[in-house]
Amino acid sequence: MRVELDDVCMSREGWSLSAQGIFTEGIHLVSGDTGSGKTTLALLLAGLLPPSSGTVCREGISSLMVSFQFPEYHVTGATIRDECISWGIDPTGVLTAANLRDRQDLSPLKLSRGELKRLHLACVLARDYDLLVLDEPFSSLDCREKERVCSAISRRTTGITVIFTHEQMQFPRVDYIWEIARGSLHNRGSVPGALEAWEHAPDIIKKLIARGKVPENITPSDLLEAACRT
Amino acid sequence: MISLRSLRHQVLDIPSLDIQPGITSVIGPNGSGKTTLLKCCAGIAEPSAGTVLVDGHSPRETETGWVNEFPDRNILFETVADEVASPLRFRRVSCEMISSRVDHQLGVMGIIHLRDRAVRDLSGGEKILVALAAALVHSPHVLVLDEYDSHLDAGRARAIDDILRSGRIPYVIRCTQQMETAALGDRIVYLENGRAIHHGSPPEVFSSLSGSAFYPLSLRCGT
Repeated sequence: MRVELDDVCMSREGWSLSAQGIFTEGIHLVSGDTGSGKTTLALLLAGLLPPSSGTVCREGISSLMVSFQFPEYHVTGATIRDECISWGIDPTGVLTAANLRDRQDLSPLKLSRGELKRLHLACVLARDYDLLVLDEPFSSLDCREKERVCSAISRRTTGITVIFTHEQMQFPRVDYIWEIARGSLHNRGSVPGALEAWEHAPDIIKKLIARGKVPENITPSDLLEAACRT
Repeated sequence: MISLRSLRHQVLDIPSLDIQPGITSVIGPNGSGKTTLLKCCAGIAEPSAGTVLVDGHSPRETETGWVNEFPDRNILFETVADEVASPLRFRRVSCEMISSRVDHQLGVMGIIHLRDRAVRDLSGGEKILVALAAALVHSPHVLVLDEYDSHLDAGRARAIDDILRSGRIPYVIRCTQQMETAALGDRIVYLENGRAIHHGSPPEVFSSLSGSAFYPLSLRCGT
């Protein structure tokens, strides 16, 4: 199971993104500046956007899901309950997990953005996919929900998960770090070895590394363990 | 001072709350009423009961900049330049002045290269930067930002923070889910189930939240 980007290039006036690399099974984190092309790369990986040149090859992938940055783009149900059903899942468990069961007859668009994101991610994470692409999954979630979603992502032991995010504090356990810098996708390698080369690493990780305390991974408990290490 | 008295609106129930000039961060769980509070302060929502006064005036009589948490809901016009110019055009500012102020604002925000792009083609973060530029271009008395930072990279968020801290805007009220960002403001309001449970300086509020998910990880790690 893998997604291979071979000499991929996307370009428009004054902007370009080149990408080369192989996404294998595991959890991949991709960071990059605002407007650097993270969403474009997410769409390329999922086959929703053809590259200007080069090829994107998906091997051994029979199921695929993309979670868009904006949860409102996914809404098709007139009620929260209908929205769950539209994903082909039993609403009861999902709505209980998302703490939205008492509001199942409301329109999803009546929810706050954080609640809508919570509903959307509960629907996405209710099933396993060979390739799961998550574009800014933590945006708008409160701190408790970020913890819950990170735990759910960390529990994925099969398939390819690719997370595109600006998040600076709450991360799931990840296997590989990638980043978009200067118009190109860079593979920083596997964690924890990748952390020292990670240009977009959050300040907290950079500060820990500067103290010689390289965390084993980037979950809050890994960072706390590194901080408390003597 | 922004004074909230006997405020009731949707989930909100705030008997009394005073917001001093400076940067106030509103934090709390999803659905706790943060956006509703921001809408009342911006004059977008009229409270069902109670009052909100900005230096003694209704929010609707106050120059206010607003950035919606849904990036697409901020956009009215086709191009970036037209979107940022719109608050000035509505105020009948001269064309020469509009052109100069739009270019200046886009330059300050670091997005002058987006000037002639269609807003709909921008990334989520870029749309938020355009909305921020439009909110700032008419020098608001109150700037209300609903989770603007959830779409921005750390470098951009810091640059925006520097602009907010420049002291040109008397009141900045922002909702954020980044506790480290909230810690950099002057005050924090922590909402839960529509009530302002904690209100004060960042150290005061975070000491009350110690042990909760809302306590900044950087404080826990001593960084």
